[in-house]
Amino acid sequence: MSENHSATGEQTKRHRVEGPQKHIIAFILSLVLTIIAFAAVAAGEINTTFVYMILVVMAMIQVFVQLAFWMHLKDRGHLFPIISMIAGVVFVFAMVIMALYWVWW
Amino acid sequence: MSAHQHAEGHLPHEPEKATLEGRNKVLGFWIFLGAEVVLFGTLFATFIALRHRVEDGPDPAHLFELPMIFAATMILLTSSLMSVFAVQAMHRHNVKALIAWLYPTVLLGLSFLVLEIYEFTHYVHEGHRMNTSAFSSAFYTLVGFHGAHVAFGILWISLLIGQLYKKGLTVVTAPKVYVSMIYWHFIDVVWVFIFSVVYLMQKVG
Repeated sequence: MSENHSATGEQTKRHRVEGPQKHIIAFILSLVLTIIAFAAVAAGEINTTFVYMILVVMAMIQVFVQLAFWMHLKDRGHLFPIISMIAGVVFVFAMVIMALYWVWW
Repeated sequence: MSAHQHAEGHLPHEPEKATLEGRNKVLGFWIFLGAEVVLFGTLFATFIALRHRVEDGPDPAHLFELPMIFAATMILLTSSLMSVFAVQAMHRHNVKALIAWLYPTVLLGLSFLVLEIYEFTHYVHEGHRMNTSAFSSAFYTLVGFHGAHVAFGILWISLLIGQLYKKGLTVVTAPKVYVSMIYWHFIDVVWVFIFSVVYLMQKVG
């Protein structure tokens, strides 16, 4: 068992296994963004357009935080994953705009 | 015992990226997620287009209950954090800790699913059925598709736990775990849009 521990220790020195701090910060950030979004709706009596803007901004920030930290898109060697996500977004916008044009104009 | 530790001692730092097959699996899975973005994006567009077609059915502002949605959001967010710790345990080559983090991941996913089933039966009692209106059809298709993804994820990760018990952590099992954790985070990312666009925005407007 001790042999195994020393092997892991060497790994730690060479590769600097990342700690949980960044991920806990990402979690707390997601938590705060979610609470802001729910609170904005629960408060009521705020301008509807303003609440919509808050919801969109909070959702976008939270999605970027989770993609970057939890899905490791900020790490090295993730160019192709980023391209495939962007491609998915571009495709879906192209499809929706096409459908809108087809149905309503 | 010795065979297991021997394998552990020789595992590279990121065992999911140690082999070409593992790297291809991760890349291929990201391309699949790009396609999932298109799938969910079109369902969201359909929902946004049909959200006011309530017909005789219940009004979303009265139907949706914020505390239940908030609880579901917290459960899925915490589950996502558990799977982050699972991947970190995997990078430390600690199979026991990896499995120990996968259990709460699956159990929280399961409680999310139970809550969603309760929510849907409650809606049906309120007269909000699949065939009530264009709004209800779009709602059940979008949220139900997400729920089906959660159900599949639970099944998938449960099978991986069994495989980890049987085969331990190797360069073959590591990419499977990594990919399933990416999938689990993606489900949480989709849920962020669902609670914002489907629940909160309909509650306001």
